[in-house]
Amino acid sequence: MNHLVQAIDSVQLAQLAFPSEMPATVLAPYLFVSAAMFAIGLIGFLTRKNMIIMFLCTELMFQAAGLALIAFGRHHLQADGQTFVIFVLCVAAAEAAMALALVVLLFRHRESLSASAWKELNG
Amino acid sequence: MEQIISPIALYLICGLGAIGVAFALPRRGHSGSKIPLHIVGGLVLAMAFGFAALVLGLKATDGGNPLPNYFFYPFAAIGIGASVRMITHKRPVYSALYFILTIIASCGMYLLLSAEFMAFALVIIYAGAILITYLFVIMLATQAPVGDDDEDLNDVDAVAREPVLASAIGFVLVALITVSMFRGIGDLPHSQLSSAQASDGVLAVLPKKIDKVLDRAGLLEEGWFVSRDSETGHAIIDVDARTIQIELVDGEDTQGLPIVLASRTLGPDQWPEELSAQNLDRLGYNLLNDHPMMIEVAGIILLMAMLGATVLARKHIELEEALKAAQARKLGTMFDTDESNSVRSQA
Amino acid sequence: MITASLFNSFSMPAFLADPSAGHGEASQHLAQLAEHAAQHPNAGPKWVLLIVLLPVLGFVLNAFYAAFGNKSKIPAWTTIALLATAFIATLSMFLSYEGTPYTVQAFEWFNLHYGDKSFVANFSFYIDKLTILWMLFVTGLATLIALYASEYMSHDIGLGYCRFFAAFCLFVFSMACLVMGDNMLMLYLGWEGVGLCSYLLIGYFYKKPSAVAAAKKAFIVNRIGDLGLALGVYLTFVHFGTVQYSELFANETLHTYINAAATGDFSHIPAQAQWIALLLMVGAFGKSAQFPLYVWLPDAMEGPTPVSALIHAATMVTAGVYLIARFYPIFLVSEHALPIVAWIGTITALLAATIGMAQFDIKRIMAYSTVSQLGYMFAALGLLSTTGAAFHVLTHAFFKALLFLACGAVMHGFAGQLDLRKLSGVAWMKGWGIVGVTMLVGCMNLAGLPYITSGFYSKDMILAEAFITPGYRMIGWILVFTAILTAYYTFRVYFRVFVGPQHAEPGDEHDDHDDHAHGEEQNHDAGPHGDHHSDHFHPHAPGWAINTVLVILACASMLSISLAYIQKAEHHGWVGSMVAESSASYHSPYAAEAHYAHVEHTDMHPVAGPVGTAAPGKVFGMDAHAGMILVSGLGAIFGVLVAAYFHGPKGWQGLFIGGRTESDKCRMDAIARRAGPLPRLAENKWFVDEIYAAILVTPLRIISHIFHWIDKLLLDGLVNLFGFLPRVFAWVIRPSQSGVLQGYAVSMAGGLAVLLFVVLVIVMNSGGAA
Repeated sequence: MNHLVQAIDSVQLAQLAFPSEMPATVLAPYLFVSAAMFAIGLIGFLTRKNMIIMFLCTELMFQAAGLALIAFGRHHLQADGQTFVIFVLCVAAAEAAMALALVVLLFRHRESLSASAWKELNG
Repeated sequence: MEQIISPIALYLICGLGAIGVAFALPRRGHSGSKIPLHIVGGLVLAMAFGFAALVLGLKATDGGNPLPNYFFYPFAAIGIGASVRMITHKRPVYSALYFILTIIASCGMYLLLSAEFMAFALVIIYAGAILITYLFVIMLATQAPVGDDDEDLNDVDAVAREPVLASAIGFVLVALITVSMFRGIGDLPHSQLSSAQASDGVLAVLPKKIDKVLDRAGLLEEGWFVSRDSETGHAIIDVDARTIQIELVDGEDTQGLPIVLASRTLGPDQWPEELSAQNLDRLGYNLLNDHPMMIEVAGIILLMAMLGATVLARKHIELEEALKAAQARKLGTMFDTDESNSVRSQA
Repeated sequence: MITASLFNSFSMPAFLADPSAGHGEASQHLAQLAEHAAQHPNAGPKWVLLIVLLPVLGFVLNAFYAAFGNKSKIPAWTTIALLATAFIATLSMFLSYEGTPYTVQAFEWFNLHYGDKSFVANFSFYIDKLTILWMLFVTGLATLIALYASEYMSHDIGLGYCRFFAAFCLFVFSMACLVMGDNMLMLYLGWEGVGLCSYLLIGYFYKKPSAVAAAKKAFIVNRIGDLGLALGVYLTFVHFGTVQYSELFANETLHTYINAAATGDFSHIPAQAQWIALLLMVGAFGKSAQFPLYVWLPDAMEGPTPVSALIHAATMVTAGVYLIARFYPIFLVSEHALPIVAWIGTITALLAATIGMAQFDIKRIMAYSTVSQLGYMFAALGLLSTTGAAFHVLTHAFFKALLFLACGAVMHGFAGQLDLRKLSGVAWMKGWGIVGVTMLVGCMNLAGLPYITSGFYSKDMILAEAFITPGYRMIGWILVFTAILTAYYTFRVYFRVFVGPQHAEPGDEHDDHDDHAHGEEQNHDAGPHGDHHSDHFHPHAPGWAINTVLVILACASMLSISLAYIQKAEHHGWVGSMVAESSASYHSPYAAEAHYAHVEHTDMHPVAGPVGTAAPGKVFGMDAHAGMILVSGLGAIFGVLVAAYFHGPKGWQGLFIGGRTESDKCRMDAIARRAGPLPRLAENKWFVDEIYAAILVTPLRIISHIFHWIDKLLLDGLVNLFGFLPRVFAWVIRPSQSGVLQGYAVSMAGGLAVLLFVVLVIVMNSGGAA
């Protein structure tokens, strides 16, 4: 797999087999993708009114964080990144269960999924 | 070390991304224009992504640094595209499905990052379990749209609130995060481990696995095992020099220690091809050895979530007063037939 | 100047030095004493703590009784039992006392060390003979008066009863702390404690506005004195570096001062040290009701009579005397303190006596006589006769408690009637014989009838001291005049109320009383029926508890004569021997010729001192004591005869010179009409209260109103402004609180972005990275 494609102008294509170290220039695109996904999740959370979509967006942010964790773990040749992702998965699952139960409850009260239906804190 | 990417380019990319997302977010009333706004947004986003890929690629090419694997680019494109679509789609079910696509794309990137176990776990847990739950809830809780057209959709789904502000904030944040990340990324410490230690260092704690592999390779005669450290029980193995010490064991002494009759060392030339630690080995060892508390915490969180979800989703049945009274009266008459009329007279 | 002359032939206080020792040897001895005190604190037996603990236990128990709604006389019996035990403990403390002061520590209270200095004030007790003397009559009288109160307060059985006895116990505890404390902080604790109890007990009838006002007045006037005391304690610590008695009295600096003062040279004693005595003196004036701070004491008679007897006659008000006696070494080194004490005491004695002459409320007359007698005690202290002061405190405690309790019995029996114009011939009513007799005993003691009363001896000691001390003869004459007035107003009460035609109008508590069931001794039908203004009124003759206490106190008053004779060979009687072995020990050099000449003159030399140089005072060419017996004895009899002539009834009850046939008509009325404004002025207490109101209270009130408005407009305005500004600010930013979830999320994300931006800018500017 590491020799799948050879160099273009002496630039070696990275993403080699595991034991070899991953350089920072390879890490950077992963981090960029992670940041972009996080931002998109954040924007979704801020803009969408549907509470289910909002929670979906938080899951997207979890994903982005997981990607960054695994990329860093690969960079450092350590398994801790993956371990943390396992934990993130647990939290995501728990959050999904709780959040969706809450959404159902809220929906029953207002017959609406809009987050704007709840504004008791309005000053 | 200098920066991976020029901040100016990064700001430009983020600005483009913000504009693209802002255009792409759902809104009403622009159906009259020839080119739908979300298409424009998508194009701008694609431009931003392409620009980012170009700049990063050029940077790597410039310094003679390795680039990511080719497969990275489609995965990244699909991941970002699907996530944008997820937040812009007006129908929640499609959003959920696009999220599954995002997950699958990031699974591809996990594979590229040699985290194959996490990739499969992600597909199983996220795509298989969590997203299915989401789909159920979407179907349970969504008000059914009257028709199939977008105009029939509820405002909740059809209109984004403050798309420009949110996009601006989101991408300002991303610009700041990435700038600060990419400024210092070169200063990241390199791994202290050699490649061999990183991949196979965990073998020492898996003596039985070594036994099994060596046995399968025909390197161990009857009664021979990998030498074990008398205190820790770890295998005596040097992954850098590729040497393994093995010994002939004959039962145990009174203290439970093996009685070693003979021992010798297998050289690098005898190192079997298939003797290497799997990703799963390392992950399991890391999880159980370095972060045991995390397992406990995760267990508690999941238990609490289960209980919480059960309590929250329970339906409260509220009987009306009249109904209750009727029920009570019915019960009362049942007893009256057997007992005296005292209840009725009191009433 | 005068004090300086007093010190001409100074004799070292007995406790401080060996009398025969010269000054050099004395200071060597003192150094040893101080060293001894520092290294071997003389610890006493722990059971001494019982004296303090038992009243606390009583307080707690009574609080419990109150909490459980006890409606019996159990609180009284508990209190009596505990206080009697405390008295027995005091008695055994007295009997087991071996001649050296010792301390008993309850627990460590303040123990601070900083640098080379330290501030130590433990919750411990300093026992010497002065302490024992005071504690003996405090606990003894408290027990007796508690017994009296068990009957007197019986109309209030229930919560009020428990409250009364709880405060009573608390008072005894505070008084014990005051008297027994081994440092000035303990004294201050007790000082404030008795002030508090006094406040609580004066305001016992808290539904009566006058009682509440009197309680407040007592508390506030006492604050002035307490401020002086607090500053005095503070200054003592600043100057001498300690507040513990044992260290203070062994302090070398103090002894240097005393030696300097003995030579009449005050110029080398720093003003700071001299101020201590002046400040302590203010405290003593407040607590002991001396001019100009005496005004609270007459009003304090709003409290129940047992309280008046115990707190405001016998014990608490003598705390000022105790204070000065205890810190006598400090007073000795102040040039002006003792002369001021003497003069203030004299002025107070005269002023209070003149007011007492014109009052009609018998309890108030007793209150003014208390103020007057306290003036005598202060005069004695100022005249360097601590023994005289202590003796007068002791005798006064007995006979004044007796007088108050007898008046209280009258008040109790006649439904709160205290006006001497509305009562007459009480002693002849059925069941009132004991009260009449004991009252007569008390009056005789207060009047100081010669030879047969203890009051005579103690007063005589003071008067003689005034006449033999050069420069103080004026005080002597004023005090003699006051003694005549005292005899007059005392027997005015007796002749008006207790003898003569029987007559009684009930007081305003009449209705309350009739509904109550009194003790079984009460004989409603047998009681004399007033003059039939009120058909239902029956005076309640006192029960056995009151009578017993009255009899015991009358006996004690008479028996305390003997105190002048016990151990007379060594000191000025028993009291003198008690005082001699304490910090109050000081004997005027002029007393050489003096005390108890009529007893055995030659035995009465003071403990020490080259007395030959002193010129003994002469009265009418006789020596001081013989003269005093003549003057004060005749004066007292003259006062009684005047009272008999103007107020006594006809016949032998008025000594055959009285002419009163009706309860409220007497010869004095005619005189009073002709005397112009004087009687009215005296009746209105010389308008001292009104003068205070005009020159102190009104300006204060005006100032307080001004400050009230400043507070309301300026300070409240500021506060309100600070309250208003956030409201304005909130009004501006309130719309940002949309209540929508995503609004908050936007703020969070935006805030994070701003924060990151700031961090980034800082990192860039600092060049921290690359």
